[in-house]
Amino acid sequence: MMENKAPLLEVEHLKMTFTSGKGKKKVVVNAIDDNSFNVYEGETFGLVGESGCGKTTTGRSIVRLYHPTGGTMRFDGQDISGPMTRELRHFLSDNIAMVFQDPVDSLNPRMTVMEIVEEGLKYRGMKNAAERRELVYDMLDKVGLTREHASRYPHEFSGGQRQRIGIARALVVKPKLIIADEPVSALDVSIQAQIINLLNELKEELGLTIIFIAHDLSVVKYFSTRVAVMYRGKIVEMAPSKDLYRNPVHPYTISLLSSVPQPDPTYERSRKSISYDIVADHIEMPDEERKMHEIWPEHFVYCNSKELERYQQKQRP
Amino acid sequence: MAENSIKNLYQESDYPDLRPEEFELAHVGKRIHDVNFEGEATGFFKEAFRRFCRNKAALVSFWMICIIVIMAIVGPSMSGFTYRQQNPLRTNMPPRVPVLENLGIFDGRMVLTNRRADSISDPEKYPEGCIYRVFNQTTVRGVEMCSVEVDYYKYVGAEDEYYWFGTDNFGRDLWTRLWRGSRISLIIAVVSVLTNVVIGLIYGSIAGYYGGWVDMVMMRICEIITALPQVVVVTMFILMFGTGMQSLILALVVRGWVGTARMIRAQFLRFRGREYVLAAEAFGVPEYAQIFRHILPNAIGPVITQTMMAVPGAIFTESFLAFIGLGLAPPEPSIGVLLSNGQQVLMQYPFQTLFPALLISVLMIAFNLMGNGLRDAFDPTQRGQE
Ligand SMILES: Nc1ncnc2c1ncn2[C@@H]1O[C@H](COP(=O)(O)OP(=O)(O)O)[C@@H](O)[C@H]1O
Ligand SMILES: [Mg+2]
Repeated sequence: MMENKAPLLEVEHLKMTFTSGKGKKKVVVNAIDDNSFNVYEGETFGLVGESGCGKTTTGRSIVRLYHPTGGTMRFDGQDISGPMTRELRHFLSDNIAMVFQDPVDSLNPRMTVMEIVEEGLKYRGMKNAAERRELVYDMLDKVGLTREHASRYPHEFSGGQRQRIGIARALVVKPKLIIADEPVSALDVSIQAQIINLLNELKEELGLTIIFIAHDLSVVKYFSTRVAVMYRGKIVEMAPSKDLYRNPVHPYTISLLSSVPQPDPTYERSRKSISYDIVADHIEMPDEERKMHEIWPEHFVYCNSKELERYQQKQRP
Repeated sequence: MAENSIKNLYQESDYPDLRPEEFELAHVGKRIHDVNFEGEATGFFKEAFRRFCRNKAALVSFWMICIIVIMAIVGPSMSGFTYRQQNPLRTNMPPRVPVLENLGIFDGRMVLTNRRADSISDPEKYPEGCIYRVFNQTTVRGVEMCSVEVDYYKYVGAEDEYYWFGTDNFGRDLWTRLWRGSRISLIIAVVSVLTNVVIGLIYGSIAGYYGGWVDMVMMRICEIITALPQVVVVTMFILMFGTGMQSLILALVVRGWVGTARMIRAQFLRFRGREYVLAAEAFGVPEYAQIFRHILPNAIGPVITQTMMAVPGAIFTESFLAFIGLGLAPPEPSIGVLLSNGQQVLMQYPFQTLFPALLISVLMIAFNLMGNGLRDAFDPTQRGQE
């Protein structure tokens, strides 16, 4: 299904290193450590991993809020990893929009909802204010807010409502790709479902492609077509969603899955969390370099040849 | 359609104990529709204004400042004297105010010490009815001396004249000079502070927004400037441009803007990395709009507060400079010049120092209280900290 479609976003050998300090105090953080993945049109690509593993950095590198230290990225066949120019920024902001993690910090407290949502349109050449306003009202209606809310300031809204304002802001510019950076991790569980469903409905309605970032596999589960699991800046396993949940291969994925609670008391009573040990779980040939191997069709895992053999022995149920 | 796609993702095998009809996904297919809010939308500045009005001390200070400013504008033309008009027959007159004089205060009385006792009955010297009392009689080298408390206005034959705050030793009306002085002090303070803010705002914004080596170089320049001692700088300016308002303002600006620049830079560093600024950048908002729409409105609270707090500082510095002789050229008064003149005759004519001292105290307290009020209004979490 995927092979016959051209990828919308191609990321190759993306690297991002943060350095701070000089001389002896120099600290280098490999926030993204040579990752490659494609995102296909119409899919929801889940990016999962614990806090600090580089998910946000990946998302922000794609929209070039950070300037990656290595690798190439192409969107719709056009290179987006070159030097930052006005044309590139326009191309990026026309096509890719972000929904941010923090519903409090991502909306400017001094601006009304109208000003926040219309901003993307305003600086992209839509000079007619009345036209802009109509689009904003339309979008607000789509995310379940009213016209009257447009004149309000963000502090008057609840977390879920603010996140919906963030979604409206992202969608009003009619992007092809949405990068949703943990859009629900700051929200109540009951509101999480609301936001996820809203995103999903809007995705169908507007024909969007979504990169959905989460630190929690259960959130991505019902939502993503494919899922990539990230650990310490590296994608360790990438597979279609169902495949990943049924047949996790990499020990880190297994440990992540073991920590997902199930709505089933008998299961929960016996649930054991499996913890991941980066040394003990990779004792085979630690010197050999690891690579992404396609263990089953479309199911990639990051391992060396010996580990690959071991993983393959596990029969696919 | 959307509902189906979600239902498809649900896998029965995940929950063998659940029958499909028991399984219902939350919120699916439901249209979210929020209700409108009650009441009016309150923006940040409206809210800050409301908080400011609730602060009594700040509000009183605000009105005090208003009154002083109005007096600084109209005061000099109220008494009918000009600030430079000298009158050798009316030097060092005590204050005399029309209605108050009937209450026994500001009625122009003054104590004359070391007078010859024999001249007291001389109507040439002491006109009829000007003496309140005679006391402290002593004999010095065989001459009888005493102190006399007189109605000074009758004593000098100026019964119909009123110098509300008295006169100085050139016979110039102190009421006129005080308000003209406060006008000049306020102009010097406000102009220098505003100039500081404008320069500091631009400089600090550039350093804070771009960061990196730009920031490095700009901040080192600031450090070099702050290393110059204030008094040396002022003396240099006065040598170069003469004693005038421009050289005083320039002297206050040379080092003053650095403080604002530093604060603005810190504010920019603080707000530059906020998600809403990143969001704006990602949505293609150009740099100038990021600065003017996103960073500055959030950073401006402390700037307003610090500006308010800088005004009394500038007034005080101006007075201090006048006091050590680096003030305006006479006959132009300023609060500092008046204090400095008054201080020379403090023992004989204390009122010449009293009024400018009172005025500068009130100004300092009012500006500080108002600054505190503004700070609390913009950032209520800072309340009670000094
Ligand atoms: N601006 C930055 N400067 C230095 N280090 C950073 C910066 N942003 C992120 N990092 C580091 O990069 C790593 C990945 O961070 P992030 O992408 O925010 O993780 P996640 O979103 O998965 O929680 C972390 O170790 C973090 O400390
Ligand atoms: Mg993150």
